[in-house]
Amino acid sequence: MHISRRDFFKETAGATSLLAFGSSIPAFLARSAAAMEGGQTSRETVLVVIQLSGGNDGLNTVVPYQDDAYHRSRPTLRISPDQALKLDSGLGLHPAMPAFRQLYQEGRLGIIQGVGYPRSSRDHDAAMEDWHTGVLRERVPPGARTGWLGRAIDTACDPGKTDLRGVFVGEIKAPFGLQTERVVVPSIKSLEEWLPAGTGWSDSTLPHESGTPTSAGGASLLAAVRNATANARLIQPRLAAANEALQTPKSAAYPPFPLAQNLAMVAQLIRADLGIRIYFVEMGGGGIGGFDTHANQAANHGALLRELAESTSAFVGDLGHDRLLESVLMMTFSEFGRTLTESGRRGTNHGAAAPMFMIGGRVKGGLWGAHPSLTDLEQDAPKFHTDFRRVYATVLERWFNLKSEKILSPGFSPLDGVLA
Amino acid sequence: MKPDPNDPAWAWAPFKPDAARPWDLRLAAHLYRRAAFGGTWPELQRALTEGPQATIDRLARPAPEAADFNRLYDDYENAAAASAGYGSQAWWLRRMIESPQPLQEQVTLFWHNHFGISNVHVKSNASLCRHTHVLRQHGLGVFEALLDAVLAQPAVWICLGAGANGKRSLWDSSVRILMDRYTLGPGRCSDSDVREGARALSGWIVSQGELRFVPGEYDAKSKKILGQEGDLDRKGLVRILAKHPATSQWLAQRLVRWFVSDTAKPSDSLLAPLARQLTGEGNIAKGVEMLLRSNLFFSTEAYRQKVRSPVELALGIIRPLEGRTGTVQLAADLARLGQELYEPPTIQGWAGGLAWLNPLTTLGRAKLAEALLAVSGAYGGKLDPAGVVRRHGGAAKDGGSQFLIDLYLQGDLTPETLGALEAGPSAAGAKGPGSADPRHIAARLASLPEFQLA
Repeated sequence: MHISRRDFFKETAGATSLLAFGSSIPAFLARSAAAMEGGQTSRETVLVVIQLSGGNDGLNTVVPYQDDAYHRSRPTLRISPDQALKLDSGLGLHPAMPAFRQLYQEGRLGIIQGVGYPRSSRDHDAAMEDWHTGVLRERVPPGARTGWLGRAIDTACDPGKTDLRGVFVGEIKAPFGLQTERVVVPSIKSLEEWLPAGTGWSDSTLPHESGTPTSAGGASLLAAVRNATANARLIQPRLAAANEALQTPKSAAYPPFPLAQNLAMVAQLIRADLGIRIYFVEMGGGGIGGFDTHANQAANHGALLRELAESTSAFVGDLGHDRLLESVLMMTFSEFGRTLTESGRRGTNHGAAAPMFMIGGRVKGGLWGAHPSLTDLEQDAPKFHTDFRRVYATVLERWFNLKSEKILSPGFSPLDGVLA
Repeated sequence: MKPDPNDPAWAWAPFKPDAARPWDLRLAAHLYRRAAFGGTWPELQRALTEGPQATIDRLARPAPEAADFNRLYDDYENAAAASAGYGSQAWWLRRMIESPQPLQEQVTLFWHNHFGISNVHVKSNASLCRHTHVLRQHGLGVFEALLDAVLAQPAVWICLGAGANGKRSLWDSSVRILMDRYTLGPGRCSDSDVREGARALSGWIVSQGELRFVPGEYDAKSKKILGQEGDLDRKGLVRILAKHPATSQWLAQRLVRWFVSDTAKPSDSLLAPLARQLTGEGNIAKGVEMLLRSNLFFSTEAYRQKVRSPVELALGIIRPLEGRTGTVQLAADLARLGQELYEPPTIQGWAGGLAWLNPLTTLGRAKLAEALLAVSGAYGGKLDPAGVVRRHGGAAKDGGSQFLIDLYLQGDLTPETLGALEAGPSAAGAKGPGSADPRHIAARLASLPEFQLA
């Protein structure tokens, strides 16, 4: 039986999707079963969101090295034409990102330029909240807000079932973008935290799947909990294997950055095929460091971009080994870009529009949209031409086959030419 | 009268044990799970001797030492709330474990869930701490006083959007939450009621973390809300909403969902007698007491018909073992399992039921049981199931296995499960001593599917 990788979410549940397998078999098991019967199976699509906390300087990430205004405005921070890693159209990547240029040349990296939104905030918290909720502030009281990914997860999880669709992987508190109304989205710092050691839990002699409930009243709820327990027992060895793999030197293919370690775990979880569709990782938040480069930006920003590019590239290579890249899409975002003009402290201030990276096996590589003008600015920052919610709509519609107007407000059409 | 859970007369009549539904360990433990986060062996034995109604008397009436106990814990919580981290939540968890009146904590948690005020938005442990103190203080009293006291604090206004809103009155969408979620229930008021309600709340702002009234911003003109007209201000609006019949009906529904069943969809006519207890001369305590005493509460409609929340799971492990354990670690572990105190996901509260469970949280729950009962580690082995077995005369040679089953799960295991438990852990995967270790037995029992149900 062939299962399309796109039609998994409940929204589009049809003959070939989850519901066709009956109520109690999780999809990853159904797919394994199909594989054993010799059928063709393809992976469900997976999204990995990488948050760049602090406001990434888009102009020194995707550098307009032919633009005089750029060089004039950044006497010490400017990246000269011979330093920039050339792409197309007079743009180049920051010299710390050869790993990204490689992906670009392989056609696996797309750059959506000039992303932002109307009257965008330059306050970290407010701007990040806009990006996380996907609904601008004035519309919803704080207590009723949820994250755009959280809403996708709520939409994708049937209330009668106990599926796992989204996780945060990292040390900090899970970002608000994953905030659901209903479903629990776990945060994973380490897999040990989630793995019982023994004490009978993994004891296969305990009946778990069927069995006669002792209390007539509690029958259906108990059956559902037993089913959840059975699924948990089935994923436990996979998690344990993933954990083992993370401890072995083989994962040394990843550079020793925090982001790389988090992505190494994501790769293991994708490989374990647990049914998780949305992964969220982060760099720069929760304390010192981060992309908020008001002073002495050059060295700091370069290190961050190196971590981003090399970690992501290692992840791409890792997934590529198992031909998993086709089903994985990575997306970066930051709460805002930065100002064009370098400040007296050799840094940059909070800005507006910035580029987003889209990486994966089914990304249409290359530049999407024009680089924002550096002579037509808004308070010293590039203006946006593409609303970030159109990027979200692209992911929701074209990658997950969800109706985006149910998750964002209506009116944000997906972008053509971002996904192949 | 014939047992019929849909017949209000039967459902709300006080439960009297009979041959079909004898007062046994199962029902005594059911009562303690729902009203007290779980019972100790002496509590369950005493309940068996005294019968259901006398036991509910004891659970529902304020314990004489409760006032002193709560004053002390208020101070601890306030002190801890001055700093970041899980300090004050940890004190609340400890209060749940040790309170002489655990029903009050269950009801406080019910209201925390009902208002769904989250520190993600309020960003002040102290403010959340004060909010929960109000919920505790008025949670078993008159709803109008509770609502009034909640609205006299900044936390709820921040969550409803006043904080970001300067001097203007609340948004209509915020007032709709007040009406649809906190009081009348969904779909009971018109857009005009909402607009007029927003005018009644004009003048209130949150500034520097405090709620203030700015007379110049107050719209003093006459308003018409839910058919009542006049110069209605905040107090006036609170009075109209709290006394409206739809409110008691909605609260009755929320209480049934919380105390009786995740899955029941009680009809309006079934809810009506409970709703009446909550209004007029009645109050929340009377309603909760009526609920706990009822046939409905002890029926199969209720029995094991709730998925334990992470808090209920942890306390259901800890309380029966008469133990005390580190609650800062516990607060963090409960957050990972989806129930961070002070941070319900939205104003709708935690979804509860099966939403607690996915393969990872199910593993995490087993992991928590294991950690709480481990001889060392994050919880320092403070729970002592062997001591409990010894004190209450469980047979030593089965490691207290039968005793622990009675304490934790009563008669609610299938013969297959019992057989497997008796056979002991299989060699593979089991670490340390086998089935004779009460710690392992207790951890095993607490990770069974049956234990996940309250």
